[in-house]
Amino acid sequence: MSSAPRRALLAGWASSFWGMLTLRLLGVVAIVLVLSVLIFGMMHLIPGDLVRNLLGLRPANPETIAAIREQYRLDDPFWVQYATWFGNALQGDFGTSIRYQVPVADAIAQRIPLTATLAVLAMIIAAVTAIPLGVVAARFHQRPVDRAVTGVSVLGLSAPAFVVSLLLLYVFAYYLPIFPVYGGGSGDPLSQLYYLVLPSTALAVGLGAILMRLTRAAMIEALASDYITFARSRGLSETRVLLLALRNSAIPIVTAAGLVFTYVIGGTILVEAAFALPGLGLMLQDAVLFKDIALVQALVLVVAVVIALLTVAVDLTYAVLDPRVRSRRRAS
Amino acid sequence: MLTSTPRRFGLLAAAAAVALALGACAPTAPAPADDSSITVALPGSLANLYVGQENGILNYYIASIAQEGLVTLDANGEIQPALAESWEQVDDVTYVYTLREDATFQDGTPVTVDDVIFSIEKAQDPELSPGFSYYLGGIASMEETAERELTITLSAPDATFATLMSTTGALYVTSRAYWEANEGTIGTGEGLLLGTTPYRVTEFVPDSHVAFERVDTWWGGVPEIEEVRVDFIPDENTRLLAAQSGQIDVAFNVPFQQADQWAAIDGSEVQFLNDLSYVGLLFDLEVAPFDDVKVREAIAHAMDRSAVVESVLDGHGEVALAIPTPESLLTAYGDEASSRLEALPQRDFDLDAAAAALAESSVPEGFTAELTYPATGPELGRAALALSANLAEIGITIDVREVTIEEWLATIGDGEHGLGYMWYFSTTGDPGEVISYLYGPENPSRYTNEEVQALLADSFVESDPVVRADLILQAEELAQADLASYPLWWGQSATAFLGGWTIDTQTPFVYTNPWPALLTRSE
Repeated sequence: MSSAPRRALLAGWASSFWGMLTLRLLGVVAIVLVLSVLIFGMMHLIPGDLVRNLLGLRPANPETIAAIREQYRLDDPFWVQYATWFGNALQGDFGTSIRYQVPVADAIAQRIPLTATLAVLAMIIAAVTAIPLGVVAARFHQRPVDRAVTGVSVLGLSAPAFVVSLLLLYVFAYYLPIFPVYGGGSGDPLSQLYYLVLPSTALAVGLGAILMRLTRAAMIEALASDYITFARSRGLSETRVLLLALRNSAIPIVTAAGLVFTYVIGGTILVEAAFALPGLGLMLQDAVLFKDIALVQALVLVVAVVIALLTVAVDLTYAVLDPRVRSRRRAS
Repeated sequence: MLTSTPRRFGLLAAAAAVALALGACAPTAPAPADDSSITVALPGSLANLYVGQENGILNYYIASIAQEGLVTLDANGEIQPALAESWEQVDDVTYVYTLREDATFQDGTPVTVDDVIFSIEKAQDPELSPGFSYYLGGIASMEETAERELTITLSAPDATFATLMSTTGALYVTSRAYWEANEGTIGTGEGLLLGTTPYRVTEFVPDSHVAFERVDTWWGGVPEIEEVRVDFIPDENTRLLAAQSGQIDVAFNVPFQQADQWAAIDGSEVQFLNDLSYVGLLFDLEVAPFDDVKVREAIAHAMDRSAVVESVLDGHGEVALAIPTPESLLTAYGDEASSRLEALPQRDFDLDAAAAALAESSVPEGFTAELTYPATGPELGRAALALSANLAEIGITIDVREVTIEEWLATIGDGEHGLGYMWYFSTTGDPGEVISYLYGPENPSRYTNEEVQALLADSFVESDPVVRADLILQAEELAQADLASYPLWWGQSATAFLGGWTIDTQTPFVYTNPWPALLTRSE
């Protein structure tokens, strides 16, 4: 086979659904690889000394220090340390956390349920409040309702998560003692959900504000288009008109929702600290400060994979939401 | 629409005002209903329960709920029996301990001499116990010389050894069988800890809590409180709210600026205790211009220590006249400890003297330097700003920078920072602990004065406490002239007790005992 038809075949495969998916997933792998080198490097550059973190201000004789450096292989060159880590990671061994003295995989796995529930709950709260509000604001563009909703969203955008957390705590845990002040509840899912209502609401405030503004912008544009004018002239009910516009605004809204999810990950650090939740955010913060490299490395990679997979998922939903994308693929 | 910065601050202020207003008109907290359990709040999480692995001051307080040493220090800092019913120092280097007949682990198995030897060996291992190994390097041999009798021989006399065999020092006795069955997971959520106190650890989730349950195996009897739960609550406002809602009974390390709010809670008491901490300026004598004693003198004269104690610490501390605290000298001098320290020469706050010293130095025109402080010690930051303002008047610019505690630790003795803070919590309360760290071999100031080092070395092999304290104070006085360190204050910590609970003590040593058994409650 000559090279030209092979290229054509490849191009055809690449634009098919499975081809696209494979390419995107390969992209995720590449990003993760690059990130792993970057993080490893940065952890070496940030100030701090692991031996000091372990010993505190205690006197130590040189033998103790040498033993600790040997134990954690701190004297190996950067690339040797990285290669060791990488080799082990390929075999599914992500090392042991120096701070917690447990396997990194176990430490992370224990905390994923809490942080995942927190993030998903925040996303749901943000979506069910912000999207309808955005639609209403766009429908009554530049009228008092719009101004009120936009004003509230400015408040949500500007208030830092820890201030919102404190405010929620005062109102709904102290003044009206409906929810618990702190902690993640006992193991059972219902209790956990109850403990996570306030934290996820605190996290959802900033998220919802962004989502609401993007929904509003997309809807304003959609409502001004010709097909809406036409739909109205056909005598369709206002609800159906809005649904039509919302369907056409769905792509920018979903894209935005995917992107703002990255905000959630930063927000969990603040919210978990405010509500004393044993989640991944607090763990990441402590691990970075302590120079617990294996743990930071694994945590950041988990976050990177989640974000990368989320973008792939967002891309895939285009095909569901937009018939044009589907038919273009089928044609090719 | 974009919001301007001033407006954003306005919103923040409004939110804070609402929060405060709500706090002010909130209902009074309900008192906890029962005496059978207590909840303890800690400002940060422990990562590991085994003190040899992680050794912050709060690690000692929490592990001591579950584990004991051969001896213990009581509320006055005196050595008392714990797992050893008696002990004897046969000669300079030989100690003989006799175990209690009824010493039992929380799983019901008896404590043997072999378990104690095993626990000491684990504490000596630098990989398993980086925090302890330094202290226990001087043990030459350990032997079971009779039934329940342990004889320890040192390679050289060590005046601090008796204390080291307590949980205040470096010994947390555990069972060999338990350790070997949980090899590699001791201190984690999986392996937990096994000790001999009336409270067994039942659960540990880092960043969340540690739970203890009462057992009836303790030689000291069965205490009243059945359950102890330690919750980690990193945010100070959340912690206060939880206390105001009646969910907390004891809180360690209450921030000074919040002390009034804690004290205002119904049935609460805020206890300020000298916590054996030392805060001082630390100079690196090999970093210019701090290699010049005149520069160091200028800085010392510009520090208004009394004002810092009064305004920055609200009086919850004392101007440090030396590195050893008065408490650490109680055993040696008794009531005279303070007057002995007051007799030491001091440098007064005097900006003219500071300017004169600078004029005589290698940098008469002044210079710029950085002073970092850990974010966990805001009072160190405020003191640094006060010093910086005074030094600005004589032409020295000090850039004060807040860093994480990890970054601050790494700046000590890094060869770049000529001026820094030393903030040291002594657990043992031994008068030689901090001074030998600051002036002894391989000190962070890279300070060598053979006479000082000889005096300190002598003090460690001297067994008479008075002679020993004299040697330490002689070293202190000699070294003060060289000014490798400048003592600022001896610190205090605030502990809040709520719901009528309290503990009777004048020293923090009580917290390296199974202290929940010592809590009492007034009606």
